[in-house]
This record gives sequence, structure tokens and C-alpha cells, in this order.
Amino acid sequence: MDQNTRNDLLQLFREKLNSAMTYYLETCTRCGICTEACHVYASMGQVKHISAYRHEIVRRIYKKYFKARGKVWPSVGEAKELNETALEELYESAYSCTGCRRCMVYCPFGIDTQMIMSIAKLLLIGAHSEPEILTLLADTSIEKGKSLDLFKESFMEGVKKLEKDVVKKWKMEAGETAIPMDVVGADLLFVALAGAHSIIPTAAVFNAAGEHWTLSFFEAVNFGAFVGDPTRTQLILDRILNEAKRLKVKEVCICECGTAFRVMKQLAADQPFKVSSITEVHARYIKSGRIKLDPSKLNGPVTYHDPCQIARNGGVFDEPRYILKHLTNDFREMSPEPKYNWCCGGGGGLVALGEDTLDFRMKSARVKADQIKTTGVTTLVTACENCHTQLNNLNDHYQLGVNVKFLTSMVADALMQ
Amino acid sequence: MDALYNFVLIYMVYFSVAVFLVGTTLRLVKIFRKPKQATSLQIYPEKRAKWLGAIYDTFLFPSARKHKPVLWVFLIVFHACLLLLIIGHLELFEEFKIFQLIPHEVFLGNGFLGLIFCVTLLYFLFRRLLSPVRELSVPEDYYILILLFLIAIFGSQMDWARSWYGYEEMVVGDYRTYLLNLLTLKPEVPYNVLIAGHSFMLVVHVFFANLFLIFFPFSQSMHSFLSLPMNKLRRG
Amino acid sequence: MNEEIKVDKTLDLKGLPCPMPILKTSRGIKEVEIGQVIEVLSTDPGSLADFPSWTRSSGNELLKTDQSGEVTKFYIKRLV
Repeated sequence: MDQNTRNDLLQLFREKLNSAMTYYLETCTRCGICTEACHVYASMGQVKHISAYRHEIVRRIYKKYFKARGKVWPSVGEAKELNETALEELYESAYSCTGCRRCMVYCPFGIDTQMIMSIAKLLLIGAHSEPEILTLLADTSIEKGKSLDLFKESFMEGVKKLEKDVVKKWKMEAGETAIPMDVVGADLLFVALAGAHSIIPTAAVFNAAGEHWTLSFFEAVNFGAFVGDPTRTQLILDRILNEAKRLKVKEVCICECGTAFRVMKQLAADQPFKVSSITEVHARYIKSGRIKLDPSKLNGPVTYHDPCQIARNGGVFDEPRYILKHLTNDFREMSPEPKYNWCCGGGGGLVALGEDTLDFRMKSARVKADQIKTTGVTTLVTACENCHTQLNNLNDHYQLGVNVKFLTSMVADALMQ
Repeated sequence: MDALYNFVLIYMVYFSVAVFLVGTTLRLVKIFRKPKQATSLQIYPEKRAKWLGAIYDTFLFPSARKHKPVLWVFLIVFHACLLLLIIGHLELFEEFKIFQLIPHEVFLGNGFLGLIFCVTLLYFLFRRLLSPVRELSVPEDYYILILLFLIAIFGSQMDWARSWYGYEEMVVGDYRTYLLNLLTLKPEVPYNVLIAGHSFMLVVHVFFANLFLIFFPFSQSMHSFLSLPMNKLRRG
Repeated sequence: MNEEIKVDKTLDLKGLPCPMPILKTSRGIKEVEIGQVIEVLSTDPGSLADFPSWTRSSGNELLKTDQSGEVTKFYIKRLV
């Protein structure tokens, strides 16, 4: 690595050093209380996956270049040069961390590993060593924001084709639009995943609740956040913020996508609209009697997997349980305390990387598979696209024999006309 | 010999305390003045009393109690001893009424507290020699533990060492004179302190304590100040 | 219509949810030479937004989109 590249990378590093990040980098005492927190370590037993070790890979570079000690006495903290080997270590650490922040619950100081890993991810982008698929997906999303006119008509036409499936789930009066789009003054903007499975059930529920809603042109998922690029993350988010402002909606509702929800909730805190997850909205409809659910649709014991970004990192715990109470009377908790729920093992962009990460995802989530097995359920419900894909893969790999379902589609299937 | 004693007990103390105070203050100011994190770093479920919760997390380490109960006992004992020992040293400057609410002699426990402190340090040290904490550790983790052990063992056993020699030599009054001299910038070690048979204990104690003070601002010991703001971030 | 475009490779991505069509296509297109054309079959409505944007950001060319049936067909010419 030449000096110029290194300086550029160190500049990126420096930009990340706000007060919180500096606390995290200065403090770790390597006490090892976090040892059992990481599902990767718990499943595979390699020290490099303990969160404190992950931090240390970033921290060693910090000690070398951002602390006087790095020049005077580098060996005391094993300060390390930023070079190709270091980049490889950073890659391995950052892309085996799903950013679930379970370790943050364990740490006596509350060090945020996901945040430290964001330095690793940013350095990898700077060195053009990030998983290029994620950048490709992020760039496609950004391009979408720029070229809405290019696909607007054909996309609306494509969505129109889904309407008959929506009506199958919830009958509507003649003349009503099953999937409204581009409605100025709607109450709620629904940001889906631009896939039929994410749009149809939710549309049926909105219509059943008599919601004045409109479907976003953009997909909720933020690949910029997966790849850890703050600029791309903001650009992808801006598409939706601009649309919400243009349509003057009161609420932006994010579909079952953990990253999308957390990014939107955090980065759109000061917007003139409220940000909700679809789970929260559905719970609200049930509470106020806007929809009624038929509990006889579901047989057998049910458990719920809390998506990390929605529950531990987003605060939505009670709503999914409230909804499930209306769908089943055999609900079983997976973890005695939901904030200790194991990550599915698919977050942080690992599922989006598809088959490349499949082997690692299966091995690293053994504890999750065991946790599901212990519940003895036949239906495993979740509210995140990433988790759903990963749990399905786990189901096949470990032959768990469960039916992995989205919470929204269960609500849609149980609607009483 | 006197020159060496004078150097460690006076000039090196001034230097170390200066590095400790200035270093810690400057570093903290620098860290606190960095831009704030724009987004929340909270962990849910949310509890109402955020500051109270953060204080609880900072001083009683509930996560350690839950996940590593044995380590937690040692951690609590270690930090409690540390606090009492700091109070003990303050009492060497003068008598504080507030500390005498529970009447005691200086030092509380006659060195026993220091021994317990050393035992906890040995536990931490041996714990670090076992996998997986061994792989997590870097040299500074050992150095700090060893340094603290040396400080505490020589410091706390002075009372015991005194019993080998004349027990009446070097009493609390002598320390008070010594420390007062330091405070009033009179670079003079009282005769009693220099002459006592166990003076070497004091010199070694102060020497290692100096090293620790110098290293403090640049080490992970800064968690003493940063733990609360970090725990507050987690509480939201 | 289809006869006008000579297809060198067809990717059947029916039933795959977003973002799989884009992922598979970005890999699949590497299997044809620059200047050749791939045909992508997708049932995901998101693809209607994804493909025009992906071709622009990746520097390839979307020749035609055929939405007439249940399955949408995209014709993409590899340029890079």
C-alpha cells in the first residue's frame, strides 16, 4: 500500500472519530465479558469472532495512527500498520459481523461493535475492497432515485398487475384502487421491498383497515447501510424522504426490513412525518378495531424471531407479540428476554451477498438453529426480509421442519371480511 | 541513596501528578469536544430512568453479574477496594470528618484492604493467561495489572514491614508532613521518612505509583471517566 | 418483435424476489461477450424499476422491456 492510499484511508478513519466512536476505541479493557455474546463465536468457537477481538482489529490501527503511544511505544497496545494484511483482517471481521449488537448488551461499558465495524467497512470502500455486489446494489438504488421518470409508467403498470391478488385477499368496492400510487395528501406512505410478496399482503391489510395510503416507488432496503457507506446510505434514504415530502404524508411506514426501518427511524428523526414499522401499524389497526383477525387460520405452536434492527436496535418488541396473540393461543418465546435473542446470522449484508456467504451463514448460526429447535414449534414467524431468507436457509440446512412466515402475510391471510 | 529517594519521592511525584492531571484533563476535553454522534445508539427495550440506569450500569456492572458472576465479585471487590484506598490516601493529607462517620484509624484495615486488592489483581492476571481472554489481551493489559499489584503490595505491606523495624518510626504524622511539604512546594522529605528501616517500601510504592499516573491518561484506565457517558449512550 | 433482437443467453429468474434478479443478472451478463444480448425473465414487479436503473448505473444498455404477459422480459446488451 503506498503512502497516498494510506493517507486517504486514514482521513476516512479520522472522519469517523466523533465522541462516541472515540469512547469506544479508548475504553475496551478486553475483559472478555462479551465472549459468549456473538453467535458466530458461540457457533464456531474461533477467538477472532469475539467482539472484543473484532474491535481490536480496528483499534490497533487507531492506536498506531491516532494515539501518541503509537509512535512512542506501539508494542504496548500491539499497534498495527494499515496495510494489505490489515485490510484483509478488517474484511474478515466486518463481513462476519451482522451488526446485531447483541454484544453491546453484554459489554459493561456498552461498546457498540457495529459502529466500530463501520470504520472497517468504510476503509474497505476507500480501498475498493468492499463486496462489490453491495456497492452495485446501492448504486442501482441511487440511480432509481435519479431516473424515476424512466420507469414510473412501466412500474405502475407492473404494480397494477398485482391488484387482482390483493383483491383476492380483501374484496373492495368497484372503483377503488387496490394499490394506490403517487397519491398527494395520503396519510401513509408505504415503502415496500418492490417485490410482490412484500406488497400484496400489506395492501390487503391497508385496504381492510380503510387506510388512506400510497405505495412508494422505491424499495425500502438500504444497501448503502449494508456496505457501510454513509454517503450512499443518505442518498438512498433521500429518495424516500423526498417522496414523502412531495406527497405530504403524515406517516412513513416501512415494510418488513430491519435495516430499512432502523436507518429510516434514526436518520429521519426530525422530519415532518412519523416513521413506523409495518408491525406497529398492524398492531394499531387491531387495537383500534380497524381490522379483525380470524385466529382459526393457524394451527400448531408458533414462535417469533425478533429481527435485531427492529427489536433490540429499534424498540419494537410488544407489537408483534400483540398481533400474534390474535392469531394463535400457542405462542412460545424463543429467548427468555427478547433483547438477548440470537441474531439469525444473515444481517449486515450477508444475505444480500447470497450464495457466496451461504456456507458461513449456516455454520455461524448453529446456535440460532438450536434455539428454534428447542421451542418445538411448527411455525416460525419474523418481520424482516433478511431474517426470513436466512431462517429459510437454516430450516433447509438443519432440517428444522418449521414453516417460516412473514408476520404481515399471516395478518393478511387471517383478515375477516 | 538520599538523592535517589528525593528524586522518586519529590521530583518524580511532581512530574507524574502533572502528567496525570494535565494529560487526563486535556484528553477528556479533546474527546468530549469531538462532534456528537448524530443518531441514537440506544439498546431497547427502553427504561424510563435513563441517567439513573446509566449510573447503575456504570457502578454496579449488572451485565458482568449476569454473564460472569465470579468475575463480577472480583470486579466489585477490586473497585470497592480501590475507592477505599483512594479515601485512605486522602486521609493522609488530613482528617476528613465525612470519612470518620464510621470511626476508623488510618489506614482502614491496616493493609488488609490492600491485600484483598492484590488478590483480585492476581485473579485478573491469571484469568488473562487463560483462553480466550489470553488471545484478547494485549501487553498493556498485563502491564497495568502488574503495576497495580506492585503499587498495592508495597503500599499496603508497609504497616507489616514497620513491625520488623521500630514500630514507632514513620507514623501517619510523618506522612502528613511529607505530603504537606509536597503540597506547599517545599521539596523536603521528613527525616523520619528517609531514615526508617522500611523506607524502601515507600519509595518502591511511590515509584510504581508514579509510573501508573504517567501511563493513566494514555491507557484504557480512562474508562474511569468514559464509562458513564458510554453507558448513557446505550440507555438512550 | 422478439425476432428483431438476437438473444445470446436467457436468464430465467421467475419467482425470485428483489434483489436476486439484479444480482443474478449482473453475474449472468459476464458470461456473454461485450456487444451480445441477454434476455432476462422476471416475475418481480420491482424488476421494472431495478433494470432501467441498474443498466444505467452499471453502464449496460436496456434494449427493450416486454411487459405484455405475466412474465416480464428484459433485453440487455452488455457494453462493459
